[in-house]
Amino acid sequence: MPENELVEGLGLDEYQYGFVDEETHVFRTRPGLDEDIVREISEHKDEPEWMLEFRLKALKIYESKPMPTWGGDLSHLEATLDEIYFYVKPQEQMERSWDDVPDTIKNTFERLGIPEAEQKLLSGVGAQYESEMVYHSLKEEWSSKGVIFDSIEDGLKNHPDLFREHFATIIPAADNKFAALNSAVWSGGSFLYIPKGVQLDTPLQAYFRVNQERMGQFERTLIILDEGAQAHYIEGCTAPVYSTDSFHSGVIEIVLKKDSRFRYTTIQNWSNNMYNLVTQRAVVNENATMEWLDGNLGSKLTMKYPSCYLVGEGAHGEIMSIAYASDGQHQDTGGKVVHVAPNTTSSITSKSISKGTGRSSYRGLCKVYEGAYNARSNVECDALLINSTSRTDTYPYIEIEGKRATIGHEATVSKIGDTQLFYLMSRGLTKEEAMSLIVRGFIEPIAKQLPLEYAVELNRLIELEMEGSVG
Amino acid sequence: MSNPAQAVEASSAEEEPSAEEDTPSSLDGGAVERLSEGAPSWLSERRQHAWSVFEDTPLPSTRSEEWRYTDVSRLLKFADLRVAPDGASGEEGTRPAGLTAAMDEDEAAAGHTVVVDGSVVHVDLDPALEQQGVILTSLRAAVHEHGDLLEEWLGTEILPPEDGKFQALNAALWSDGVLLYVPPNVKLDLPIRTTRWISHSGSAVFTRTLIVAEPGSQVSYVEELLSEDFDQRTLASSAVEIIARDGAQVQYVCIQRLGRGVFCQSAQRTLAHRDSKLDTLNVSLGASVTRLDLNARLLGPGAHSELLGLYFGDEDQHFDHCTSQDHIAPDTGSDLLYKGALDDRAQSAFRGMIRVHRGAQRTDAYQTNRNLLLSDDCRANSLPNLEIEADDVKCSHGATVGQLDSEALFYLLSRGLSRHQAERLVVLGFLGEVMARLPLGGVVKKVTRAIERKLKNG
Repeated sequence: MPENELVEGLGLDEYQYGFVDEETHVFRTRPGLDEDIVREISEHKDEPEWMLEFRLKALKIYESKPMPTWGGDLSHLEATLDEIYFYVKPQEQMERSWDDVPDTIKNTFERLGIPEAEQKLLSGVGAQYESEMVYHSLKEEWSSKGVIFDSIEDGLKNHPDLFREHFATIIPAADNKFAALNSAVWSGGSFLYIPKGVQLDTPLQAYFRVNQERMGQFERTLIILDEGAQAHYIEGCTAPVYSTDSFHSGVIEIVLKKDSRFRYTTIQNWSNNMYNLVTQRAVVNENATMEWLDGNLGSKLTMKYPSCYLVGEGAHGEIMSIAYASDGQHQDTGGKVVHVAPNTTSSITSKSISKGTGRSSYRGLCKVYEGAYNARSNVECDALLINSTSRTDTYPYIEIEGKRATIGHEATVSKIGDTQLFYLMSRGLTKEEAMSLIVRGFIEPIAKQLPLEYAVELNRLIELEMEGSVG
Repeated sequence: MSNPAQAVEASSAEEEPSAEEDTPSSLDGGAVERLSEGAPSWLSERRQHAWSVFEDTPLPSTRSEEWRYTDVSRLLKFADLRVAPDGASGEEGTRPAGLTAAMDEDEAAAGHTVVVDGSVVHVDLDPALEQQGVILTSLRAAVHEHGDLLEEWLGTEILPPEDGKFQALNAALWSDGVLLYVPPNVKLDLPIRTTRWISHSGSAVFTRTLIVAEPGSQVSYVEELLSEDFDQRTLASSAVEIIARDGAQVQYVCIQRLGRGVFCQSAQRTLAHRDSKLDTLNVSLGASVTRLDLNARLLGPGAHSELLGLYFGDEDQHFDHCTSQDHIAPDTGSDLLYKGALDDRAQSAFRGMIRVHRGAQRTDAYQTNRNLLLSDDCRANSLPNLEIEADDVKCSHGATVGQLDSEALFYLLSRGLSRHQAERLVVLGFLGEVMARLPLGGVVKKVTRAIERKLKNG
């Protein structure tokens, strides 16, 4: 059997979330983007004046910035953006109980396994459908301890001071073209605050679903961990398969105060017609630890580089990244670590698999500023190529000031070795079993970190499918 | 093809106060006209074309990836530069002391060339080799004597002016250079040595080197770039094109010990055909700004290239080494090792690229850049890139930035060495690894001495 088919046997290519619901929106803006549309979005959200001004200013920045010429192919994006809906309101208000969520939407999330996981394994759940959060809940145990887990809109309404203190301070509108776009039209996303010393023992999950064809989703998430707090947040995303392109551009801002610890897990499984251009950044204070676990399996093109700014002494940042690029997909992912304070440490581990005409690129930055004495960072990238038409790239940037830093970067590229296959087959495994075992072994250092018990679809995609093909 | 505007420019340059032969002239179309006088039409056309490419190409900006770490607009003003007066007009007996001293340190050679201010002033070659058909000559002479060879290779698709603003300027304004041709199956036991000297502050010197090694031949070429320190920004621009035909073995070494004030820009291209071995070593110790663009192409199965480099910077020195390894044919190999030490406020950038083209199966390609930082104010940037479009490959790269190995230091201190001595030894050992990979007569000794001299100053 050709290797191509063997890898297909692993099931990574079967997209199970491509189903379409009938359209149920109560309102949507006309396609395209201009100042009127930004005003319309703001009006629907009944926002304070400063937010409207922020949005309008961001729109100007977005319009003035050129389209990036690096990374993936964005040459068709401009035309796509003229045709997509920037705001689609699926229902009148957000619900606290699944029973109040309209049936079509509820069924969708049931098919994705969310309510079931919520009962068993999660501290809280947020679910976004099109442009708005349709459901948000947090277990009583945590809300009584002062944890706030809400839609971003309710965060702005109910906690205006905390919101304004941090909003757009970590990722300003002018950060990049797509952060500016998100700042102008953002809608949905989570607002999370964990008070001093509170440690959540099960994760929070936010789930993003796009149903509408030619849709733009622009969620905005703001997360604040107070001193000594701990939590784990999981984000998942899927969409139906359409012949036209859709667009997703989120902005995630995270503040980690002294001694706190946070893990942000993404399981990105958008359909293959989705542009996914996301800005994610955490500011990490004294002795705090930030971990990004970034799994990119879907989308047409993803450009995403989660970053840690280590601004407090002893801060630690960690980025673990798995990318899988199949036919026609380009995963341009990686991470950034910026060492500003002394005795800060970081590591980036990236594993990618390219198959068919898929292309995975690692793009990363390790920057050490003068004065970040004894900064230590290690970057490791491994790429696995399945076919002669697959492509992989590595673009690391290492920028170091001053002699007291220790920085290492390593990357390897390989294909499944004949000797590896031969050895396993001589032990009685079939070629399929041997292939799948090798692929599993390749991603295992990161895969074992995944919260397999509750990340329902990744569980299915990576673990179960592969087990199935071995067993 | 003389156009009136250029004729006016050229004549106005001649009207400057001192109308002597060696009046420095600015870098303009007039300079291209003067260089084209009496040249065959293919050459003047290439110069003209290169000049128009130069004029149409914007100044490299730090907004572009290739020039991210070197701000040309701040470091070099083309308008302030003057074409260097013809070095060939000086008498042979009056060679600068620095040049003579460097040549005295050289070990045995199969031939020599000396280039002063962009003009070849001396050539000698073992007569036995000459008889076997080896050609070592100035490009100026070669234009007339070996025109067909130059027309076939010089400034063609190996290193076209379209490669960049500096490459275009060099292709338009090169004044002289060296041609080395080695016929099939001729093997040179000793290297060819070239010494290049610049004597005028504020001048711009453009030279080219063309090495063609025919099938089964073997040759090493070692060149050294030297000058005094200059008050005014001085440009040393060179273009090196090396072709190793099937089964040929070529080693190219460049030791750059130019004085402060110099902006040293060089573009090197190596073409390795079937079963050939084409290695380069670039040692960057001098100049204020060093910019190297090295592209190694592996064109035939069995071809292999080593790309070696070392740099050691102090004070405000700035190094920018840009390399690429293009694997175009299957079953080729390349291995890059660039190591650098930085002291004071010195800065370095290394940007390397391994490209495995579609169909270049069974490529083995490696790339390592290691940096040793010796002060709090120095800076190292490293961008080791990979672009792989074939699946049956072995590729890896690594980059490190670190400090002096404290265990090694401690050991040496415990043996009674002073801290300064111990540090020097560790730096020498760190950089020495590179030279050990290409042991060529006298190079290791010469470079070691140059590094030691630099360490002493510190």
